[in-house]
Amino acid sequence: MPQLDHDPIDPEVAATLDAIDATLAGEPVDARFADIAEIALLLAADRPEIPPAFAHSLDQNVERRFATLGTPEKRPKRRRSWSGFWGVAGALGAGVAAIVAIALVAGGGGGASSESSSSAASSAASSSGAGSAGSSASGSHAAAAPAPRTEKHTAASTNGGVFAPTQTSAANGGQPLQPPTTGRKVVQGAQLNLGAAPSRIDDVAQEIYDVIGQANGIVENSSVTQGGPAGYANFQLSVPSGSLGQTMTQLSSLGYAQVISRTDSSQDITDQYGAATRALADARALRTSLLKHLAAATTTEQIDSLKAQINDAEASISSDQATVNRLNHQVNYSEVYVTVQARTAPAPISHGGGGFTVGKAAHDAGRVLTVAAGVALIALAAITPVALVVALLWWVGSALKRRRREQALDSA
Amino acid sequence: MDHALVRSEGVSEILTASESRGRDASWERFESLYRSSRDDVYAYVSTLLRDPAAAEDVTALAFERAYRRRRTFDRRRGEERAWLFGIARNAALDELRRRRRVATLVTDPEDVVEVSEGDGAEVALRRTAVQNALAKLPAREREIVALKFHAGMSNAELARVLGVSESNAGTLVYRTMEKLRKACNATA
Repeated sequence: MPQLDHDPIDPEVAATLDAIDATLAGEPVDARFADIAEIALLLAADRPEIPPAFAHSLDQNVERRFATLGTPEKRPKRRRSWSGFWGVAGALGAGVAAIVAIALVAGGGGGASSESSSSAASSAASSSGAGSAGSSASGSHAAAAPAPRTEKHTAASTNGGVFAPTQTSAANGGQPLQPPTTGRKVVQGAQLNLGAAPSRIDDVAQEIYDVIGQANGIVENSSVTQGGPAGYANFQLSVPSGSLGQTMTQLSSLGYAQVISRTDSSQDITDQYGAATRALADARALRTSLLKHLAAATTTEQIDSLKAQINDAEASISSDQATVNRLNHQVNYSEVYVTVQARTAPAPISHGGGGFTVGKAAHDAGRVLTVAAGVALIALAAITPVALVVALLWWVGSALKRRRREQALDSA
Repeated sequence: MDHALVRSEGVSEILTASESRGRDASWERFESLYRSSRDDVYAYVSTLLRDPAAAEDVTALAFERAYRRRRTFDRRRGEERAWLFGIARNAALDELRRRRRVATLVTDPEDVVEVSEGDGAEVALRRTAVQNALAKLPAREREIVALKFHAGMSNAELARVLGVSESNAGTLVYRTMEKLRKACNATA
């Protein structure tokens, strides 16, 4: 139906319309509207009356609420076709959304499962005592601390020693590797990287102190920082080589930490040690010889010269002895570097079993909600364009249908 | 003629049987709407289609659709009666489209002038003239007559059914009546 203008109605038209309404209401009208009034009455009188049989049938249908309507077949068919369209559109959209969501979640889920398997090897146990935050300690043997690992590696390479760093996974972190040391001078070391909850950094530090104390080891250097989500601690430890294995086992199974990585290293310094001892023996032999010559010296010049040589020999002896002592210390005490990093990863599983705790339940609930929200967001992103297309199709379809109906009226 | 006489009657007793069922507000509204509009809807559709059999089907379909959609009715968008006639109008236009697609020959019912005993020859002639003039009107204008005089709609209701303003609806009624008047006078 074409829209006409919205101008105010003409007074003559308004008067005619009032006359028509008055006629239909049974009221008298002005004589100039007699023709219109008569036509109105005749039109109203010519109103088609509903056939009584149809009226009765329709009443019964309404009474049954159209439950078993015997209407033309095209009507329910058409309704089914429209509902089918919306059903297919909805199912299509939901299917696309589900596929996309599943694909994305499955793609992102690999990392989650990997993380889970890693943390599965973690360990925890109850522990007593709390460490001091922000503490820094130096061991009594700090002066004897070995050179940095990199320098040692270089020296080992220069001296032809054997250096065999070994990356040990967290899964078998409980049993450190033991290189063969029979008859050889071997320097052992280890580096342990632990993860712990930010609030447990102090507890982990205290556990490390306890383990080192039990092993009669030395805390060469330590630094513990706690507070906020970025707690951190590192330790430079010296552990008697004989108890290195047991110490590493204990450090790998602390109650509030989980092993992220562990590196065991060994360096054979037998040649270097032999050279140092030989140099020491030579220096001592030289000093003994010089002392004999000094006893036999007769002139002042000879005596002064021999004394100077003896001083040099004694200095050499001291130096060589220090070298031997240092190598012995390296062999007898193994260096262990421990770092503890704050992690917001799931709390370690208790050694006491997988019992229910409020914390675990809250964590699981949070994770479920996060995943659900992610899936919902992805589904929404996938459904939105489909919904827009469906809405556009619906709008176009409605407009076309409306247009065709009006055309049907015009052509009737 | 009293227009109130042409409104639907005798329907309420049929529907009393359904009162025992659990009723909801939408059903009660629909029941009331059906009771007041059944005959009007049929009259409108019959005039528009000029086919009593098709008018019965379309009337039944319109009420069924209205029943199915009764919960979607929004009072803010108009009165229930206009909403119902909108549904009936769409159903009638769909019927016209279907006729055009199947190319079925639909013949207008023959004009039968029933002259009651009290009617004089003059009135019978005038009625015949009006019927003939109405039959010659285009469907769009015949629809105006059906809504205004057979369904008993006000200009405001008519405007809501047709989707035009009330003044435009009044203008359409005026033009249609003028056309009929001229046709009748020409016949006379």
